[in-house]
Amino acid sequence: MKKIIEKAKFADFVGTLLSDYEVFAPVKNENGLVLFSRISSPEEIFLDFRNSKKPPKEFLFPQVETLFEYEPGKVKVPSVEAIAQRRLFLCVRPCDVKSFLILDEVFDTEEFQDVYYVTRRRNTTILAMGCVDPPSTCFCTTFDEMGPFSREGADAFLVDIGDRFLIETLTERGESLPLESLPDASDEDVQTAEDVEKKAVEKVDRKLELSKLGEKLDGMFESPFWDALHEKCLTCGVCTYLCPTCHCFDISDEALDSKGRRVRNWDSCMFPLFTLQASGHNPRPTSKERMRQRIMHKFNYFYKNYGVYACVGCGRCVENCPVNLDIRKVLEGILSL
Amino acid sequence: MEVEAKIREKAKELLESKAVDVVIGFEKGTLPLRSTPAFIRDSSETDRLVWNSFCENNLATYLNKLKGQKVAIVAKGCDSRSVVALAVERQIKREDVFVIGVPCRGMLDRRRIEEAVGFEILSALESDGKLVVKSVDSERTLDREDFLFPSCRSCRHRNPVIYDFLAGEKVEESEVDEFELVREFESKPPEERWEYFKKAFEDCLRCYACREACPFCYCEECFVDSSRPKWIEKGLDETDVQIWHIVRAYHHAGRCVDCGACERACPMGIDLRFLTQKLNKDVKELFGFETGLDPSVQPPLSTFSLQDPDDFK
Amino acid sequence: MAENFEPKIVAFLCNWCSYAAADLAGTSRIQYPPNVRIVRVPCSGRVNPIFVIKAFQSGVDGVLVAGCHPGDCHYQNGNYFARRRFALLKRLLEYIGFDNERLHLAWVSAAEGGKFADVIREVVESVRKLGPIEKLVKRDEVLKDGS
Repeated sequence: MKKIIEKAKFADFVGTLLSDYEVFAPVKNENGLVLFSRISSPEEIFLDFRNSKKPPKEFLFPQVETLFEYEPGKVKVPSVEAIAQRRLFLCVRPCDVKSFLILDEVFDTEEFQDVYYVTRRRNTTILAMGCVDPPSTCFCTTFDEMGPFSREGADAFLVDIGDRFLIETLTERGESLPLESLPDASDEDVQTAEDVEKKAVEKVDRKLELSKLGEKLDGMFESPFWDALHEKCLTCGVCTYLCPTCHCFDISDEALDSKGRRVRNWDSCMFPLFTLQASGHNPRPTSKERMRQRIMHKFNYFYKNYGVYACVGCGRCVENCPVNLDIRKVLEGILSL
Repeated sequence: MEVEAKIREKAKELLESKAVDVVIGFEKGTLPLRSTPAFIRDSSETDRLVWNSFCENNLATYLNKLKGQKVAIVAKGCDSRSVVALAVERQIKREDVFVIGVPCRGMLDRRRIEEAVGFEILSALESDGKLVVKSVDSERTLDREDFLFPSCRSCRHRNPVIYDFLAGEKVEESEVDEFELVREFESKPPEERWEYFKKAFEDCLRCYACREACPFCYCEECFVDSSRPKWIEKGLDETDVQIWHIVRAYHHAGRCVDCGACERACPMGIDLRFLTQKLNKDVKELFGFETGLDPSVQPPLSTFSLQDPDDFK
Repeated sequence: MAENFEPKIVAFLCNWCSYAAADLAGTSRIQYPPNVRIVRVPCSGRVNPIFVIKAFQSGVDGVLVAGCHPGDCHYQNGNYFARRRFALLKRLLEYIGFDNERLHLAWVSAAEGGKFADVIREVVESVRKLGPIEKLVKRDEVLKDGS
């Protein structure tokens, strides 16, 4: 169904959502950063943003997650009920929604389901919002069926058409949102939304042609291309931590004598310890091997394993890299070899 | 741009004569308001080098990764101090580094510029102290002086303190009180200071961009990566994050040149110089030391004086 | 705070002077408060500032670092380095709003058993007034062992 929410009535709508779900929406924090956060009132929402600084993956895959606690003779595993609340992700961008589908390939497979991720994922409804004015750092249209108004993975979809939002339900979960009291969208509304969408899609014109990428990368492991590319990389973790699809983690025991807990922390393939072996040998000693690995993983191995690139073109790495190492330029360089 | 032309010319000469293996400088970035570090090894590519108000990185950090090679580096005032200090700490050999010094009027803070104009900037042009930024349908002219990085506003060493070649006319040094903000903060009541400290590091992701951007974080094993002993955990517990920053700042006592690279690298915009500036002030007042000015002076924590101030009862 | 708050103090004592002073206080039967746990180090110059910070993080209410008097260091100059290091650390902790009276520094020679006891008494009383540590201490229910 397609309904209309007047912007003046949006706060009321969010109010009804809050009585039914734990709602996670974009918020501007005291330090001026736009981040997804759990809200307790509609006033907290901040919608004048291109995209959040951090991706919302942390609400399915937290940066720090206690796997279990232990003391002599006892192990305490967090209850599934504790993380199974009904949740709603509100005003998430299509690229971030797509990233959840990519994370699913890792954490929710036929042979193995990560209970911490899967429980949250299966209890989350996604109300996405299209990007009316995508910034120039976005390149989502590079990827199959992706774009600033891609509905893939969303349960419902919001389009900003001026003084109102068009809300479109896409799945059964979307249909179960509290929309009955809202007016239906008129044909005019639908047309306006389509025009807005068309303009936005045209704006994301940094579209890379990736069909030959796998082939090129296959032959490139020893290529001198990596020698030139890597030098300015600082091997910090900004790109990996702000990436919606990066999912590597480290498991650590935080303990005092024989009592403690096992936690899962985000890790980064750029960090020195990532591949450090107990012997002291590190097969990826410098930024060259790590940059190569990053590109190979996201654009070759992951694609071969799962049929989808581990990148959604959100542009956060481009925007935030301290040395402006631009992944779009890297891909263009590879494709031109 | 005269300075830019001089940098390119010198770089070409150094590479052609094989005086250096690589020239580290800046080239055009992929976004407006950005330049990016460039590693030029071929004398035919020296035209890639640029010089503008967005050359914000401290290139001295790369000297730690190129030991054994003969390197030319484009260095602003603060960067040149890093080169001196790295040589004092014996991380580099002074004779292996050719410093192309560039007098600097400060770098511009792109995040504050974007916030001030409110639209996405698609192109930027500098001239005569003004910055003209444009989007598809908007344009604004800004005064350069209003958008300097905080570290540039309190800079007292705009001219390189050492150089093998100076790519431009020296600029007037500022007499600014570089520790004014530290003094102001010191006069606040303790609880207010604690609240500021807590809030300042709340958004830290432990991405270590600050560490990697700094020329003086060159330890083979950083204390946060130590597991025996494990000093702090790797997660986001607030005390672990606070201790990471306290100890990192402390490890830079007498070594920090206040280039601001840490602050600029941080994706969350954390006020990282808050702690290092206090240590810089204390090191100056207690031990009469300023990093990277005199290659013959030992760093303060590697030495002592019989007349040092004594807090021990 | 509770009137019977007994602060937990950790003292880093250099083997040759301040630890010997503690020993002397003991053999001379000089009474001093039992709140202190001693960590013996070869020299005050061995004390890494991160030891002090880590002590606070693990819930210790006060820390004492004690060494030989300047000029008398068993290793010639270790205590001179300690003097510089802790001058900076103390000022940094004060700057961030941490209770400055939790970190104490003292020179105590091997012959000063009485002074050692006085120093401990002073440290315990000044930390007792501040109450249990609240800043920089890790609030970790899993790892609390009640002691």
